[in-house]
Amino acid sequence: MTAMKWLLLLLLAAAPAAAYDRSELAEFNDLYKTGRYEEALEGYKNVIAQEPANPWAHYNAGNALFRLNRQGPAVLNYSRAFLLDPRSADIRANLDFALRQTGQSLVPANVPSALHYLYYFLSAAEIKTAALLLFWLACLAGAAGFLLDGSRAGLAAGRAALTAAGLLVLSLAWLGARQSSPFASAAVVVKAGGTRMLSGPGENFKTYAAAPEGRLVRILDAADDNYYEIGLPKEGIKGWALKTEIERL
Amino acid sequence: MKTLTPLLAAALLALAVPAGAALAVTAEVDRNTVEISGNLYLTVTVSGDSHNMPEPKLPNMQNFNVYDSGRSQSISIINGRITSSVSFTYILTPRFLGIQRIPAITVFNGKEKAIAPEIQVTVTKPAQPSQQAAPQPAAPQRQPRRPAGRPAAQGGEPIFIKAEPDKRSAYPGEQINLSIKFYTSVPLSSNPRYVPPSFKNLIAEDLPPVRNGETDIGGVRYAYSEIKTAIFALTAGPAEIQPLTVIAQIPSKAAVDPFDPNFFQNMLAMSGAQGESREFTTETIRLDIKPLPAGAPADFAGAVGNYSITASADRTEARTGEAVNFSVTVAGSGNLKAVTAPKLPELPDFKVFDTMSSLDVRKEGDVISGKKTFTYILVPRTEGRKTLPAVRFSFFDPRAGAYKETRTEPVAMLVEKGAEGAKSVYFSPTPAQGAVTASGADIRYVSERSGAATLPHLAAKVMALPPWTHALPAALLALCFWLASFNRFKSANPLLFRFRRARSEASRDIEEAETLIKAGKPNEAVSVLYDSFMNYLSDKCGVKVSALTMKKAAGLIKERFPATGERSLEEIRELWTALELRHFSPEAAGTEGTSDLAKKYSLLLEMLEKELRK
Repeated sequence: MTAMKWLLLLLLAAAPAAAYDRSELAEFNDLYKTGRYEEALEGYKNVIAQEPANPWAHYNAGNALFRLNRQGPAVLNYSRAFLLDPRSADIRANLDFALRQTGQSLVPANVPSALHYLYYFLSAAEIKTAALLLFWLACLAGAAGFLLDGSRAGLAAGRAALTAAGLLVLSLAWLGARQSSPFASAAVVVKAGGTRMLSGPGENFKTYAAAPEGRLVRILDAADDNYYEIGLPKEGIKGWALKTEIERL
Repeated sequence: MKTLTPLLAAALLALAVPAGAALAVTAEVDRNTVEISGNLYLTVTVSGDSHNMPEPKLPNMQNFNVYDSGRSQSISIINGRITSSVSFTYILTPRFLGIQRIPAITVFNGKEKAIAPEIQVTVTKPAQPSQQAAPQPAAPQRQPRRPAGRPAAQGGEPIFIKAEPDKRSAYPGEQINLSIKFYTSVPLSSNPRYVPPSFKNLIAEDLPPVRNGETDIGGVRYAYSEIKTAIFALTAGPAEIQPLTVIAQIPSKAAVDPFDPNFFQNMLAMSGAQGESREFTTETIRLDIKPLPAGAPADFAGAVGNYSITASADRTEARTGEAVNFSVTVAGSGNLKAVTAPKLPELPDFKVFDTMSSLDVRKEGDVISGKKTFTYILVPRTEGRKTLPAVRFSFFDPRAGAYKETRTEPVAMLVEKGAEGAKSVYFSPTPAQGAVTASGADIRYVSERSGAATLPHLAAKVMALPPWTHALPAALLALCFWLASFNRFKSANPLLFRFRRARSEASRDIEEAETLIKAGKPNEAVSVLYDSFMNYLSDKCGVKVSALTMKKAAGLIKERFPATGERSLEEIRELWTALELRHFSPEAAGTEGTSDLAKKYSLLLEMLEKELRK
């Protein structure tokens, strides 16, 4: 019961910091509503510059870009919003819609949507936070268990520590599994018309494939100054693309 | 009875749906032999539960270019049993000669899986090469292979691209054919890559197949490849075809003859040859989209083209409460995808339920044509001879430049009174009156939420903590672990700890005894010193006080600490005897003698601590 009170207190302490500031986005949304997408986009970009972790600024920017028929940057912004707040139905719907415009889909065809929702229920930052909190809990409960060694309270603390440690391992496994998700080490083709995939990092290499605009790609190597080595897992091909035509999530 | 009918119908539906739910798929082509420059229609028909009808997933076909050509749906309701099937039509254009294989096609609705077997198609050379799109009459039927790297075209680029619409002005919804031709007079080291244009105020529809041919321009022989696209304007006003790009590899070593008849069949594919990459781009093409003339009929819903309309019912006799399929088909040329369902006239004798639309698009002769069928589920309310009135459909004919109206023939039907417990069904188990039909899709509206939710915000705060803070609980855990281990060791080895603390306890006792001596209580001081000495020896020897005798103590000390000198043992005996005497004969314990005993005990401790070491 005491633990519940502490948790509640912690959440209440965090809540004021997440208070809404509706006025700023509402102002740019008015521009969006009247079809002034470019101006609205500028406003959303300003909000993103100030609050890079604000999913709704990315989401709204994605909407403005979608209206401007810039599929690649729209997918990029929706993806960023999704990574920040994967539980939002609006963000998921628009990301899926934008992906479908480019021949992709958020939920793979052979994966049940409920399982996909569960897999992305927490963002990577939230899983890391959960892992850290479980680490704290395991350590503190373990410490209490050692201090109260031999007593009933000590035994309970020890069990709590083991449970927290087990959950910690699970959360780390979840985090590890997410490394194979299409959004891990990912980037989006933002150049209108798509990007060329070369067989090496330079114009002297042959173009042997093309990734269309809005396509989610995996970054395999970012060491070169001008080129990313990118992979298309679905097609099983990789190549080098200009960094100016690809943007990392 | 009226209230009973829907309930009965719903109950029967529950029985009927599983009966028609077995998933099945068939695949067929309209011909088994096709020329390389022709195309064939692949029809994949999926039948099963109408609410869970999966779309077939076409396997990867490297030997064909595949174009979607619409879908059509049909539902049969016979004796209350629903059979639903959807036909998906694709246009396939072959890419290679010989026997080509269309792999098995699989559908899966999440529960059941069905497979259509593979199909073999023979792809032949063109029957008459002159039918290939080589417009130059002087051109030879089949050019001998020319050596690669021959001189470039005189007076023109060796490679160029042309994009030309067949008209620059049109009405919204009127078909405009865009021809994109890629010419080359030099061999390429791999197949060029085509990046299609984007459109403004236009929508596009492919017109397969890719045409290939040869032509002379300015005395230079060119091989060309032509892609045709049908485009339709959305609204009146300016429209644009944005630049399109072809990326070609100019050879550096091994060359491929551009006059190979199969060369451009792989227009969109990639190859592994080496070469220099070059891009060829067209200019933006602007079109003028004229507004539709005034005077549109009241029921005009935007259809542009040339259409006819027919109507039919799936039966001429029915019973009240039974469902009847009433189909209205709009056929003709034009953008059928944009044609909306004609409005049914008032039908007081029928309940009208869901509308389904089926689309079957054909692209013969570069004209988008076909038919779109709207199926209404009608349930007769009353018995008698009924007539479904004519359905009107208005469209704008761009060739005539005028609105036209066409109508169906009335459909007669005999409705008999439904028997008790008649098998009636609704097409959809949802209430038909409030049925929602999706007419399109779009992104969701912008949000005014600007702050992160509590959980992401908490995550951000935790992640912002300096890394070293997370070492604190680990350090605390390590400390507590050490403490617990120490306590366990202490509990497991009590004699060791008594041995170590014996000196400090004895010193404390001496101080207490001296305090008692000063307070004039020599007897109590002697008792304290005696008990302290016994405890000290007990701790050092590792036996209980009650089991300790002078002889035993001396023996144990000698045994455990062989380095102990005889003098120390003698001092022990003397002090023991003196303390025992004073302790058990209190009258002999004077203040002065007691003080001496305390000092002697203190000196003995110093000596023993040096000798009694482990």
